[in-house]
Amino acid sequence: MKALGLNKDQIKKIGLSSMGLVFLVYVYFTFFLGPLNRSRNNMLATMEDVQNKLSSSKSEMAKAVTLENQAKAATTRFAALKALNPEGAPIAWFPPRIKLFFANEQIDKAVARLENSVPFKEPELADWMRYNWMINIPQADYSTVGKAIADLENAEPLLTITKLAIRAIPEQGQFQAVDIVATNFIPKK
Amino acid sequence: MAIHLNLLHEEIREQRQRQRDPLKIGMMVLIVFGAILFGYYMFNAYRTLEIKAKLSAVQRQWVKVEPNVTAAQKRSAELTDIIKTTKVLEDYIEDRFFWAPFLEKVSRCVAPNTQLTNIEGGIEGNTQEGTRRVTLLIEGVAAGREPRAAAEDLRQMLVEQLGQSYRDVKIEFKTLEDLDTLINVGGTNTAMAHYILTVNFNPKAPVKPAATPPTDRGSKKR
Repeated sequence: MKALGLNKDQIKKIGLSSMGLVFLVYVYFTFFLGPLNRSRNNMLATMEDVQNKLSSSKSEMAKAVTLENQAKAATTRFAALKALNPEGAPIAWFPPRIKLFFANEQIDKAVARLENSVPFKEPELADWMRYNWMINIPQADYSTVGKAIADLENAEPLLTITKLAIRAIPEQGQFQAVDIVATNFIPKK
Repeated sequence: MAIHLNLLHEEIREQRQRQRDPLKIGMMVLIVFGAILFGYYMFNAYRTLEIKAKLSAVQRQWVKVEPNVTAAQKRSAELTDIIKTTKVLEDYIEDRFFWAPFLEKVSRCVAPNTQLTNIEGGIEGNTQEGTRRVTLLIEGVAAGREPRAAAEDLRQMLVEQLGQSYRDVKIEFKTLEDLDTLINVGGTNTAMAHYILTVNFNPKAPVKPAATPPTDRGSKKR
């Protein structure tokens, strides 16, 4: 400093000016430019996020429209399958329905009892239940039972006969007693 | 050489010192630097405001679109579930074992000299695992001069008939025994045999053998 020809007072003033400069730079970056940049970066990030959502939303909506067209057959079929089962508890409507069905097939005294109901393991059928029914027909002839079973299998696509027992009635050779265990798929209410 | 006399050298020195005052220079530098920083800040602030305006516009657009997108996503998920569920249900429906055709085939196999007294069975195993099989017990009596042969005829007939519609048909006698009692068939007393058949088959349709291509011998005959 001496070489520059500065005296003590001038050196002090230079020091003071330098400190002022450092303070100014600190205040500027800490309280002005820093927060501004942070805010701008946040806005940019938010904008990018929203723009990504907007661009993906177009494809989502297009996908939904395509899927809607593709799924027409499935939705119609699904609605038809669901409509096979009336509203209400299955124990209330299934036994009378079976009784009426077999009565129309010339088989009287058909009785359906609920064995149990279990949920499906498959995640696709989480909204459906498997109802196992025992159907007893105390007296019918073989051909009538066969025809009735054929009609039942065709009329009830969601019903599967899992066990069948046909026994001859000793005193009446032309008649048989029939036990049917059937599983029916019914949507959860 | 002319001599220059500076009679005001003290005043000139003081003036120079005032001009070289570091505090004054420093203040000027600070002001200039501050002005530059302020300008840069303003430039950034302008850019930030511009971005804010764009963000507001994008957000307004998103607010308009969002309900539709959410509805579309919900509908897509719903449709995907419906498609999956329908497919699983269809698979179950397609894979059902129909008992009526089976009972019809059994009835075709029963000759006048045989009688079925009990048919009992069910479906075992799992379709997905490929282990599904139908297992039954068929109990009855056969009459004739050789009642065991009549029972065997029934067994063979069942193998033939069921083999046309199902895979891996296995029918075996669990029990086959002569009965002491005689029965009157067509005016003659005949012996009887009691049998229990175990029937086991895969309910899938049998694999048809591939058609053999015509040989040269056939064409030579012509």
